[in-house]
Amino acid sequence: MTEAEAIRLFKCLSDKSRLQILKSLAIEDMYVERLAERLDITAPTVSFHLKKLADAGAVVSYKSQYYMMYSLNKEIFKTSILEILQEKSDEAEVQARRDAEYRQRVIDTFFEYGKLKAIPAQQKKERIVLEVIAQAFEFDRIYSEREVNIMIADFHDDFCTIRRDMIGEQLLDRDAKGYWRVKTECEEK
Amino acid sequence: MIEQKISKLNSYFDKQISLCEQCSKKLLADDRKDEAVFEKVKANVYDIFRTIFSVAVKTGKGDSEAVRRFFILKIQQIPSNWATAYNQAKKHDDADKMQIEQIKLDTVSEIKEIFTAIWEEEE
Repeated sequence: MTEAEAIRLFKCLSDKSRLQILKSLAIEDMYVERLAERLDITAPTVSFHLKKLADAGAVVSYKSQYYMMYSLNKEIFKTSILEILQEKSDEAEVQARRDAEYRQRVIDTFFEYGKLKAIPAQQKKERIVLEVIAQAFEFDRIYSEREVNIMIADFHDDFCTIRRDMIGEQLLDRDAKGYWRVKTECEEK
Repeated sequence: MIEQKISKLNSYFDKQISLCEQCSKKLLADDRKDEAVFEKVKANVYDIFRTIFSVAVKTGKGDSEAVRRFFILKIQQIPSNWATAYNQAKKHDDADKMQIEQIKLDTVSEIKEIFTAIWEEEE
């Protein structure tokens, strides 16, 4: 279910008459006049609600003899709310673009001619800066501490803090043999 | 005798407007927003024709036939736009608009019926 479809369905369900129609259809398939009688609302109003429910995918109709019968689209109601929330947002691309723009602004602010002007105080900004420095390291290669320090020093004099923070941010990892670049989730994909 | 008919029709309009407004409030409180809007639409139609009726009475200057002619002319002219709007909505499968235009047309035909019944009553 797309985000637009979910919004349409939820909007459609936020009406007592429509909910009552669905409750009736959960018992059995019905035609307009039967629903109108059952719910004490006029047939044109029932038709109006059914049209909205059909547009939202909540009900389906079929012809039976002289009547147009309506039934609950059970498939749509089997979808859990969590599944809807986990669905990729239509806004994802816009959000990704905003994130990229923010990232570029941070880089432009803290780097000048490839050198880091200052270590950002804000953790989110520091993470972006450290990710840029991490790009200088190759994957699947072990670096000695001296090599790491020299490479970081190309960006900023305080290589100790940056090296430690890169370990903390899991951009680099280490053991007795040395340091290596860790693949982030995105890089692994 | 025209005064009695005027009074009857004014009472009818007032009563219908009041009923629709009460109904709309009830429906809104009962989480039936769309139906509450439909009641407001009906109330608006009654209000429009109450105003037209008062203009008809004013311009008719006590002439029953002049009042009737003016009112019937307007009750035929005004809904023609609503019928066009209904057909447009139908063409675009716009259920909300279709329902609203249909309610306006149904209400106006009820008003016409009541007006005719009251106005043609034996004096």
